[in-house]
Amino acid sequence: MSTVDIFVLAMAIMGVISAALVAFHPNILHAAVSLIFSLLSVAGLYGALGADFLAAAQLIIYVGGIIVVILFAVMMSENIYRSRFLDNGGKFLFPFTLSLVILFGLSKFIAATPWPRTEVVNRNLTTTVESIGLALVGPYAIVFQYVAIVLLSGLIGAVVVARPHHHEDEKRGA
Amino acid sequence: MSGIADNLTIYLTLSAIFFVFGILATLTRKNIIGLFMGVELMLNAAALNFVAFNAFSKEAHSSWLHGHIFSLFIIILAAIEAAVALAIVLRVFAMKRNIDPDHSVELKG
Repeated sequence: MSTVDIFVLAMAIMGVISAALVAFHPNILHAAVSLIFSLLSVAGLYGALGADFLAAAQLIIYVGGIIVVILFAVMMSENIYRSRFLDNGGKFLFPFTLSLVILFGLSKFIAATPWPRTEVVNRNLTTTVESIGLALVGPYAIVFQYVAIVLLSGLIGAVVVARPHHHEDEKRGA
Repeated sequence: MSGIADNLTIYLTLSAIFFVFGILATLTRKNIIGLFMGVELMLNAAALNFVAFNAFSKEAHSSWLHGHIFSLFIIILAAIEAAVALAIVLRVFAMKRNIDPDHSVELKG
């Protein structure tokens, strides 16, 4: 086993364990912290697949941004420690059945499909930043602009939704 | 038998496992933030698939990066989703004083 094999194996084990904790840990704060490790393992797999820019973007946007937002929302919600968040009255039969069916079907498809080339990853030492930048202003320029518009409208919508509404204040004052 | 890191099915199986845990978190959590974390896991699984297919593609060379672009857009959309989801969580918490999704059942409160 080479060094990359050991790295991928470690990332896989860390990712699976932390993803299981995200799904099943009764404390939502611990689940959010284990989501950090799950996203870190995905970033490590990006690195092992030769996607250096995506690994950095994953670290910055997910681990640095989205996790902070999630942790803020978790801290803001009261009774983190008082109630268990997983007590849904034993309604586990449908989710587990559905997940097992999906996992079984996906693994059957993965095993049955003759993948065209499964020998080696193009793990060259050149960076992908220049190619991604050229693609974003070349063939993907329209998509890039569209995503920018979606980001702007999403942020404006988030501000509008989260802002306290005035008529509710009047109702509360009356 | 090639190594672990050079096997496409390893990445696809990992992605399937991430996706299934995301579905489980989305279906079993009694908390809007828990659902949201499950959605993040599923988005990550899809993005990992794109990058794996790109790396093992027949045309893989240093400037053929369409899978990377797709994953980048997935990350951007996840960031937008995080902002909107936090705003909705804030509103629901301000109105209901809890964030149990089963308590938010009426449309116009």
